[in-house]
Amino acid sequence: MSSYGSGERTILHVDVNSAFLSWEAAYRLQHGASLDLREIPSVVGGDRESRRGIVLAKSIPAKKFGIKTGEVLWQARSKCPNLVVVPPDYSLYLQCSNALMELLSQYTPLLERYSVDECFLDITHSLRGRSPLTIAREISQRIKNELGFTVNIGISNNKLLAKMASELEKPDKIHTMFPSEIPEKMWPLQVNELFMVGRRTAAKLNMLNIFTIGQLANASPKFLTAHFKSYGKLLNQFAWGIDDSPVNPYASEAKGIGNSTTTPFDVDNEREALLYLLSLVETASSRLRRANLMAGVVSVSIRKTDLSFSSHQRRLPVPTDNTESLFKAASALFKELWDGSPLRHLGVAFSSLCSDGFYQISLFDEGRILKNKNLDASIDAIRTHFGSTALIRGSFVNSGIPPLTGGVMDGFPVMAKPALKGGYR
Amino acid sequence: MKILMKSVDMIFSSSKDGIITPLRFRLSEDGEESRIVKIDRIIDRKEEKLAGNPMLVFTLQSTIDGVERIFEMKYEVNSFKWYLYKM
Repeated sequence: MSSYGSGERTILHVDVNSAFLSWEAAYRLQHGASLDLREIPSVVGGDRESRRGIVLAKSIPAKKFGIKTGEVLWQARSKCPNLVVVPPDYSLYLQCSNALMELLSQYTPLLERYSVDECFLDITHSLRGRSPLTIAREISQRIKNELGFTVNIGISNNKLLAKMASELEKPDKIHTMFPSEIPEKMWPLQVNELFMVGRRTAAKLNMLNIFTIGQLANASPKFLTAHFKSYGKLLNQFAWGIDDSPVNPYASEAKGIGNSTTTPFDVDNEREALLYLLSLVETASSRLRRANLMAGVVSVSIRKTDLSFSSHQRRLPVPTDNTESLFKAASALFKELWDGSPLRHLGVAFSSLCSDGFYQISLFDEGRILKNKNLDASIDAIRTHFGSTALIRGSFVNSGIPPLTGGVMDGFPVMAKPALKGGYR
Repeated sequence: MKILMKSVDMIFSSSKDGIITPLRFRLSEDGEESRIVKIDRIIDRKEEKLAGNPMLVFTLQSTIDGVERIFEMKYEVNSFKWYLYKM
């Protein structure tokens, strides 16, 4: 059943404007910076020392120089020589994201963190006689005053339309996109602006002479199904703003937690490769624990010096968040995957995540579950309090390999997930 | 007032209700000998949570070099650090 036209629900989509950059700017201002990063051409970009860093977020003045998210740093610098580049600080972003969630949770318990900087609120039953716009204005104002950054808020009857609304003009704006406004506000947009339409789908649609969302809405569903199978039907529904997925506060925020690194030198022996793997597992597993999650599947990926890429994954007998067990699984996978040729990139990812609320005891447990859990908790606590390198493994001493590597996203995907939660069939 | 954001050594008290009161701090200016500044009066205290980072912001009054001065100090809850924020 679709909620289209029923007007029963009231959904807000809150999206932080240039999230990483705004958060960095707010933090710096709090610490006495005289310059607001948002007002100058600036970007948050990968590792300063690495030539391979990319733009993760940009300020609006940087956008005016044609700098794009995902662009390589040197390219961005060539467009704007005075560009200010700040390194990313993922724990700060998680802190900001958590503070945002805490503020929003004062408005409704039906709150779904969709990514680190986006979430949906179902305020249908929390209006208390106020209009959605009044609530949105209050939220936006409070975030600005209390947390020091701006958001876009989209208001509608379902998640899809609320998200489409918040993507309209930025920053610091509130937009509505009720079903009656679709022809006027959504249909003139380019088809690639539609949720779930990526670059390749957009190109394919353009080949079929479909350039705007309106054209997609008015294309025959049969025609779309012929070209895109069931996805075609879904695209057509989206173009009409049809979506009945619920705001699910219990949706696991992260689909996977991963970590990867490009090594400064080519890795050609197993010891070094495993040390790199261990340092990746160290950070990824501590993020897993911080998000109160356990991993059911471990995967390892490698890129050789000829840039060929391969990966290998396995389901664990029981989900775990223990560094040692995860490393054991990862190193077994690595040994099966690697043929001995030099490597320039290694990655570890944990998926099939579940809550760490309970632990399924298995016959094959190593009998030290609680001890390992306490050990991990102590290590995490020491590192949080005294710095990530306060406690490192002996095997890293004099190895030239950082004891902890990576840091991308503490449990929450940087980019929005490919599908709205709730499932479409 | 100018923004300084200088970290300082501080002696403060914490009441059984968790109320924090700055008492005196050590101010060391470049090239000068450090000196102790006693807090004479707490004019205002508020909490801020910019960037999700909780800080206590105090507006204080002290006598420095025989002159009564009003300034702001910040206590960063996560790092336990005190800053002379504005003077």
